[in-house]
Amino acid sequence: MKRFDTTVRSLLPVAEGYYELRFAWPTSDNGATDDAPAPGRFLTIRAGGRYDPALRRPFAFSGYVPDATSAIAEASFIFQLRGRGTAHLAALKPGDSLDALGPLGKGFSKPARGCRPVLVSGGIGLGPMLYLARALAADAAAGLCEAPVFVIGVRNAGFVPLVDLPSGTVICTDDGSAGFKGTATDYLAGFDPGLPPAYYACGPAPMMAAVDRLARSRRAPYEAATEQWMACGVGACAGCAVRLKSGAFARACIDGPVLDGSLVDWEATR
Amino acid sequence: MNASSQIDMSVRIGELVMPNPVGVASGTFGYGEEYEALLDIDQLGALYTKAVTPEFRAGNPAPRLADTPAGMLNSIGLANPGLDAFITEKLPGLKTRRCSVIVNVAGKTEDDYLQVLERLEAEDGIAGYEINVSCPNVAHGGLAFGTEPAQVERLTRRLRDSLIARAPGRGRRPLIIKLSPNVTDITVIAKAAEAGGADAVSCINTLVGMVIDTKARRPVLAMKTGGLSGPAIRPVGVAMVYRASRAVSIPVIGLGGITDADDALQYLLAGAVSIQVGTALFSRPEAPLEILDGIRAFMERESIARVDEIRSILR
Repeated sequence: MKRFDTTVRSLLPVAEGYYELRFAWPTSDNGATDDAPAPGRFLTIRAGGRYDPALRRPFAFSGYVPDATSAIAEASFIFQLRGRGTAHLAALKPGDSLDALGPLGKGFSKPARGCRPVLVSGGIGLGPMLYLARALAADAAAGLCEAPVFVIGVRNAGFVPLVDLPSGTVICTDDGSAGFKGTATDYLAGFDPGLPPAYYACGPAPMMAAVDRLARSRRAPYEAATEQWMACGVGACAGCAVRLKSGAFARACIDGPVLDGSLVDWEATR
Repeated sequence: MNASSQIDMSVRIGELVMPNPVGVASGTFGYGEEYEALLDIDQLGALYTKAVTPEFRAGNPAPRLADTPAGMLNSIGLANPGLDAFITEKLPGLKTRRCSVIVNVAGKTEDDYLQVLERLEAEDGIAGYEINVSCPNVAHGGLAFGTEPAQVERLTRRLRDSLIARAPGRGRRPLIIKLSPNVTDITVIAKAAEAGGADAVSCINTLVGMVIDTKARRPVLAMKTGGLSGPAIRPVGVAMVYRASRAVSIPVIGLGGITDADDALQYLLAGAVSIQVGTALFSRPEAPLEILDGIRAFMERESIARVDEIRSILR
């Protein structure tokens, strides 16, 4: 983990109001694999002036491409244009500087052999799930795990991400304008994974709660990437609390963002 | 001998000498370990810990944070592991720090504060105490204490009486009362703390604020209101330090929206002997050390030998 200034490589729209920002990732003192921008981990970006906004914005990595030929790799995240922080990001151009802090938090773990990885994304959960889907598809091709299924739920065809999706990706739209008509969890209720499933998800709380119920009914593990406003991002301020069913709180930044989804109190999460 | 070696950056609070005037504010820096990779903690003057209460506190429901113009609201609710876990899990790491470790203490009742202080008096590695009588996010205690001068004076006196004299050269640990800006006249509370025997006051804690999500038609924070911090409150803090430092003869520690050396110098010129950096850490974790360098550069430029002289040069 470190704070560094880097440069924007590209900023491309991936769907209505969604962008993927790629930037240079310095690897010279980042050789240790346990501090790599792995799927489920995140970074924070200073999006605007030096202190206005006062809070850095957290984004899960949507990809990381090491470059064997240079000391500079490329990392990326997907964001939704939502407020003044993301408006600042959406106006960036290639070559602009970017103040990044990361990699932070705990990412996804690898699925057990013989399990079907079932990945579910809703809304802005796309970034980390796309990264995980690509990583697991590559692992499956190398015989390291079973082929993943990736289910993306969006409102309508305008929100279908225009990116290379791994084979085995299913698009669901609320209005049926593309792919399966219904939510991602509607689709999964009727889906036969063929093998004991292992669920991975990131998205709005109602979707996360539905995946929790599904995983319980199938006695399957469930790794949930949580979202919360953050201040420090390093576990110091306890601002990014996620309520657990036990009544305790987890800090999204350091206990997560990837938590055991069966432990999170999704009803208390918004 | 160059100019910088003649500059004395140390700050005296009661019998404690801090190495320099730049501290990190309670609640923004955890117990230090969290920031290890992001700045050299040994360069700081003081580390004010996250509040310690007698019992474990899970904290308030989420969301606990909201973005505001040049600032933020927080409603953490004094989440902390409790006194026992603080001593066994956090204090060993804090003992290794070269900066002054000031433990921030909070509670629901006077006895809570006293219990924490008496236990910590038996422990090594603590330079002093900052008493949080001004947390706006806890229903009982906190702000309830901090807005009543008679209560502040009585609590301060009880805590002061529990502090033990230490071995020669180590001194009694100072008692710093952290004041709330959510009062009509902060000088009344500052004087009450002084009358009760406080060694210093720190001001200001956060201002009560609210943000409403108009689409959802509800407050963004689960607790509805929270404490406003960041550059937005700096002019309020500077004015309150200016007034408080003229009302009492004990040192005033300034905080509220400090992001760079110029901000810190405003507080020092207003009357503070030292400062704390809080919310700025979230945006730029290296800010406290840049501020320290900037204060030193100002002193060299203005030929000021001791940092506590800065408060006497305001025109």
